[in-house]
Amino acid sequence: MPETGVIVCENLSYIYPNGVQALCDINISINRGDYIAFVGQNGSGKTTLVKHFNGLLKPTRGSIRVFGEETRDKKVSALSRKVGYVFQNPDDMLFCSSVEEEIAYGPKLLGFEEVEIKENVEKILHELGLAAQREAHPFTLSLGDRQRLAVACVLSLSPEIFVFDEPTTGQDYFGGKSIMSLIDQLHAKGKTIVIITHDMPLVAEHARRVVVMNQGQIALDGTPGDVFSQIEQLRRLSLRSPQVTLLAQNLGSKDQTILNVGQMYAWLETEYLVSPRAAIGDFI
Amino acid sequence: MSTSTPKPQPEIRAAPRTWKSRGRLLGMPISVLAIWAALYIAASAVPALPVPGMAGMITINAIMTAISGMVLGPGAAIANAAGGIIAMILYPYGFSAGPLGFLTVTMGGLVAGLLFANKWVLAGILEILIIGSWFVNPQSWQTGMWLVPLPYSLIALLVIFIKPLRDWVRTSILTLHKVWLWPAVFLMCCVGHAGEFMMTNTMVNWMFNLSWQYWVPTLPYWIMVDTVIIVVSTFVGVGVLIGLRKARLPQYADWLEK
Amino acid sequence: MIGISSGARRTPLNGLDGRTKLIALLTIFILALVFSSPYYILGLLALVLTTWAIARLPWKLIKDILKFFLIIAVIILVVQIFFYPGETNLFRLSGPIGFIGFSGYITLEGIMFGIAMVLRLVVIMIVAPLLVLTTPLPEFMLALVKLKVPYRFAFIMTTALSLLPSIQSHSAIIQQAQLCRGITDFETGRLLTKLRTTAGLLVPLILGTFRDSQTLDVAMSSRAFGAPVKRTFLLESHFCPTDYIILILAILFLLGGVALRVLGYGTL
Repeated sequence: MPETGVIVCENLSYIYPNGVQALCDINISINRGDYIAFVGQNGSGKTTLVKHFNGLLKPTRGSIRVFGEETRDKKVSALSRKVGYVFQNPDDMLFCSSVEEEIAYGPKLLGFEEVEIKENVEKILHELGLAAQREAHPFTLSLGDRQRLAVACVLSLSPEIFVFDEPTTGQDYFGGKSIMSLIDQLHAKGKTIVIITHDMPLVAEHARRVVVMNQGQIALDGTPGDVFSQIEQLRRLSLRSPQVTLLAQNLGSKDQTILNVGQMYAWLETEYLVSPRAAIGDFI
Repeated sequence: MSTSTPKPQPEIRAAPRTWKSRGRLLGMPISVLAIWAALYIAASAVPALPVPGMAGMITINAIMTAISGMVLGPGAAIANAAGGIIAMILYPYGFSAGPLGFLTVTMGGLVAGLLFANKWVLAGILEILIIGSWFVNPQSWQTGMWLVPLPYSLIALLVIFIKPLRDWVRTSILTLHKVWLWPAVFLMCCVGHAGEFMMTNTMVNWMFNLSWQYWVPTLPYWIMVDTVIIVVSTFVGVGVLIGLRKARLPQYADWLEK
Repeated sequence: MIGISSGARRTPLNGLDGRTKLIALLTIFILALVFSSPYYILGLLALVLTTWAIARLPWKLIKDILKFFLIIAVIILVVQIFFYPGETNLFRLSGPIGFIGFSGYITLEGIMFGIAMVLRLVVIMIVAPLLVLTTPLPEFMLALVKLKVPYRFAFIMTTALSLLPSIQSHSAIIQQAQLCRGITDFETGRLLTKLRTTAGLLVPLILGTFRDSQTLDVAMSSRAFGAPVKRTFLLESHFCPTDYIILILAILFLLGGVALRVLGYGTL
């Protein structure tokens, strides 16, 4: 059987009730195990598009199929078992009075077995390092922990696809790091990951596929290497490749797109036959 | 300057922030009252239960009214009134008492707020005035009309005037008692909601002389509606009170403790 | 239905001061409550409708409002016609039916009183839109301040109004977030389920908005809120001659109406 996409959009258009056309003829197929980042200016339609993935929005025209089924007449609650959506602000998702209750809430509503829920909650609490705070009120957790808790709530419904809306916004460096490593772990377990972000180095480091949106349409779609090498095109869309990529381009890396410092070192060593560690080691 | 006897140095303190007191009204920061008013307007846009005989609806602002006293104290009256006036203009279907509809929500917040601030004499006087103005109307002496204010206004009167009950309700809420918080919030919601609905009933009755032929057949429905609102308000109230305390957000209880 | 926020229409009534309109509205409202004779209330209704015509407000709106209160109006009418303790019996419908309090006769007073109550309802319900639709909300607030409503109260109202859009979008996001967590849809579902989800929506909404209040507090004080000086206003309003005429008329009307009522006119 040929591998078809888990999410397939065909000529998808969306017009907001106030008449603003947010999406225009989107065609995209997301495959099982993808790690895909949507980037673009504010208002380019990224959030509108991913809100179609779990049925929060229904297309005005065209179609979107999730695991082969049209979302049009599906309830969000039914789709939430397949597509988990983690909102930008974790506080919007939390309303119970303890961490444990919070995680068990969704599965209870969807009628999971009591024993199964208990085991699952226990597992998630340990996996995400929230076990010590199981009794705590979600509002007393730090922002990073609240974000983990929001992920935990989605995780408890064991969906196949995870959508993260700007997971690192508002986080400090380590908070962002830890949430990204959590996402990487999910991906390593075979989950399909969709993230929305403005952070290009993050995209370069983690994503396997980048979709650039502009004015409700897909402007670029490819691997981070492909996309970030098109510096001029990106500049027209008011986006910027990671600095390390730009630096490497300036140094003359035409045939290869450098996405992180490690690659940069390797490239410098092969291209200029210098070891950057030896050359600038004193300064680091 | 002689320094022979070293006096104990007074504790160094930051200058008192006078703007704080200027920015307060009846103990609550004005910003919080404004935010409550805004929430109030938003809640007035969400219909919840139908009103017999009208296209109008009971909106979820009834829940906001019921819990306002516990969260904001007497300032709830101000916030509810400000929100109510605008909500009446934007979403008139939620107000059955016409242009004076905002008075009802003000009263609900005021009675419960005063009680929560332990100004129970004032709260009691208001409650008696509200119930009294129902019975001053000759209409209210018709068959069965005395039943209308009974269910929850009676509870309100009991909570206001019986000292042990009143103290228990207030302490349970102030200390967020693990178990007693729930019934205490329920009783407090009864006070807040009773203030609102009796004010509405009285005003509607004075304006349109609806006699017992309207009230008595719809009474079971009203009792059901009031019960539902108070129960839901209890859930919301408990959640909000615990959440505010845990997140160290402003609420009237902080002011009481000072 | 009426849901018009800023009332941006240009009508002849827009030129009037907000205070004038507010006082005129209150006058009509009070008079509608003072009188209980259908003729007097009919006079008030004529006055309101004339103003409506002068303001060139859409007549369809009145129809909508009436439709809105149709059932309660019918109930009021029926209750009064059948149960008002009148003296002039018009005709006999049946024998007395004790347990619903029906004397068996339809009385003239019952009919008149029923009509009066319905007219009162109509006047009360359509007089408010006259003010709302011809006064942008900022002007309305200014009128309140000028009428010596405490500035802090008016400030709470204005701030609340400007916070409203962000609260409403916040609430929409919370609803979406909760849908994603397996809550069945807000729109469908049985009444109790709906109320439970409403409770689940209100708690995070209230807490989240309260969290924002601290930012607002700082913003307010950094912009000198509550500074002990007499404040000036960006928007100014002045009385024009028409304002004075209407105000005097309103006061005369009010006094005259109350005097008539005291003298025993205007009742049934």
